[in-house]
Amino acid sequence: MNLSYTEEQVMLREQIQKFCESEYDFYKREDVVKSDRDFDEKAWSLFAEQGWLSMPFSEESGGFGFGPIELSVLFEEFGKSLVIEPYLANVVLAGTVLDKSNFADKSELIEGICSGSMHISLAFAEPLNSYEYLNPNSNLSDSNKLNGTKSLVLNGKNASKIIVSCIKNNSLSLVLVDQDADGVSFNSFRTIDEQTCAEYIFENVSIDDSNIIATGDEAENLLVEAINLATLCVSAEAVGCMSSCYLKTVQYTKEREQFDQPISNFQVLQHRMVDMFIDSELAKSLLYKAMLEVDSNSDDKFKHVSALKAHVGKFGKLSAQNAVQLHGGMGVSEEMMIGHYLKKMVAVDAMFGNADFHLKAFSK
Amino acid sequence: MDINFSKEDLAFRDELRDWLANDYPKHVKDKMDKGEHLTRQDLVDYHKALSAKGWMGYNWPVEYGGTGWTATQLYLFNKEFGLAGCPPLLAFGVSMVAPVIYTFGNDEQKKRFLPDILDFNTWWCQGYSEPGSGSDLASLKTKAVKDGDHYVVNGSKTWTTLAQNADWIFLLVRTESTGKKQEGISFLLVDMKTPGIEVKPIITIDGDHEVNSVFFSDVKVPVENLVGEEGKGWTYAKFLLAHERFGIAAVGASMRALNGLKEVVSKLDNTDLDKKVAEIEIAISALEMTELRLLSELENGGHPGAESSILKIKGTEIQQGLTEIYVEAAGEYALMYPGAGGYGSNDKPSGPEHAAVSLEKFLNFRKTSIYGGSNEIQKNIISKFVLGV
Repeated sequence: MNLSYTEEQVMLREQIQKFCESEYDFYKREDVVKSDRDFDEKAWSLFAEQGWLSMPFSEESGGFGFGPIELSVLFEEFGKSLVIEPYLANVVLAGTVLDKSNFADKSELIEGICSGSMHISLAFAEPLNSYEYLNPNSNLSDSNKLNGTKSLVLNGKNASKIIVSCIKNNSLSLVLVDQDADGVSFNSFRTIDEQTCAEYIFENVSIDDSNIIATGDEAENLLVEAINLATLCVSAEAVGCMSSCYLKTVQYTKEREQFDQPISNFQVLQHRMVDMFIDSELAKSLLYKAMLEVDSNSDDKFKHVSALKAHVGKFGKLSAQNAVQLHGGMGVSEEMMIGHYLKKMVAVDAMFGNADFHLKAFSK
Repeated sequence: MDINFSKEDLAFRDELRDWLANDYPKHVKDKMDKGEHLTRQDLVDYHKALSAKGWMGYNWPVEYGGTGWTATQLYLFNKEFGLAGCPPLLAFGVSMVAPVIYTFGNDEQKKRFLPDILDFNTWWCQGYSEPGSGSDLASLKTKAVKDGDHYVVNGSKTWTTLAQNADWIFLLVRTESTGKKQEGISFLLVDMKTPGIEVKPIITIDGDHEVNSVFFSDVKVPVENLVGEEGKGWTYAKFLLAHERFGIAAVGASMRALNGLKEVVSKLDNTDLDKKVAEIEIAISALEMTELRLLSELENGGHPGAESSILKIKGTEIQQGLTEIYVEAAGEYALMYPGAGGYGSNDKPSGPEHAAVSLEKFLNFRKTSIYGGSNEIQKNIISKFVLGV
């Protein structure tokens, strides 16, 4: 047994930390939020150059064949700095679906993702079908007409192609749709944690047979695997947030003086920060467990990802709420970073099944 | 990263399981499985069976007759014994006083005391807490005054676990009252048969007689029973408390309790309880991985520090949390304790078997967040040494 990260993984973490510190501080992030495309094109090219956009793809698709451990390292660091680049949408969701599929045209699309030149989104969620991703209402008719509404299409505005889950002849299909195809419309909006996101409506959109990525069991399997991996990734992001929450709060309470002393002297605050620290360490432990189970592709991998997600859903929000409370008025100021961790934690809990959903999934 | 144990460690685990299947004394196992009380003799039999296997000195170095086990072996030992529902090993002799004796004691003391601890011929108890000294242990007042070749001890100790069974007690006493309170404390070994010692039971809220008050009036203790140097007792006391942490997470025991609880709750069709069980199962998984992370750090030459206080805090919260859900699962039968036989009896009140044991454990386990450095003290430790505030 050895639970240390490999030298390669440590180096990857350092690279990402260096990027976050020098190129992606909170003010820089604010600029990205205000920009037209809602992501930083310069950063995105850098991600491509560093090979981060190719990380999880198989070597025959031109990737590094990295697994869930490396992705978790990346997302943990993204979480600490609240990076809002559309990595999850492109690489983890759309990218791994394509990479693991038998779709004939996949290499070109994956190359586009790896080089940063193409954005692709996965449309898996629907307004009335909360967290039940295998039974969408979107429908593909016998004559291949796609109809339906997809919510929470991450990075939907920037995606030139969308992978849409739908039902054809009672079985799940994943189809590739161009953003500018006839019958496709969307509304773009921003999520609570400043990601760009869209609601897509498909009205009698013609789908060529050659754009059906997968059907039946293969489609279900691709979707379930991608969602599970994405759930692990946002949970790792939450783990990063949780450690930043307690560290930044400790720092702040040491500097903030009231009653002629740093407020960190007060035991009631100390114990609350210890609780934040403990919950963060436990979250990290559950992350280890989950990523190792996913890495070894064990039968229990879904169960352990659910355990992690249920924990960060509940305790991540609690930690961030405590961080806000201990920062006093500064905690609720939009211009301070700390309140944005709370927004992130709310977003993480709401995505891919909240704490209650995953508690139930865990005990099944 | 590799979460699997080595072939050697797995072989060791098989050896543990083999002992548990074949050599764990049957009469002890039966009582433990039914949640019945053990007698003094049961506990002696259990510990002597471990001695016979050579496992009594589980955390000792080989040179004193210990096993010399690695941190991983210790972890597996604790986990497997917990999973099997064994009584927790009495720590007072083997893992409290013995490491102090072999680290700070003289050769004469090592020869005199260690073999009997290994063979479980002497039952030790711990004389630390006093009526006025709990978390602030260094404020202790029990006094030892040197008079020729003896110390004369006066004062009282409290919460002394199983003192009614003990042959010997190790005592923190004050030999000097001036200066800092941590200075002037000494560490004495005292025969419980010495005139002037009186043990009085304290009955806890579960009705059990587990702890005691111990009174000392003009108790004469030979000077050769002083361990190390006079006035250095506080250093030894802290050293001892560090050894007490072993196995404090109680992951194996909690997993066993969880399995029993799942069986009980699965028959109830109560989604609120199902949710609570799922939450605590996740907490146990998190605790287990936290312990493994610390273990991996130890095995790779690291020195995990105050982080291990997490194991005490979460381990005991989980132990208590499990008993709380058990009580909820008992429903109205939660009221039926202690039943017709009264406290301390093995007669069960009416209702399902799990209900009576649940109540008793629930009440008894309140101690876990108080002993071994209360959970609030643990938070002070993390706050100071990890967070740096």
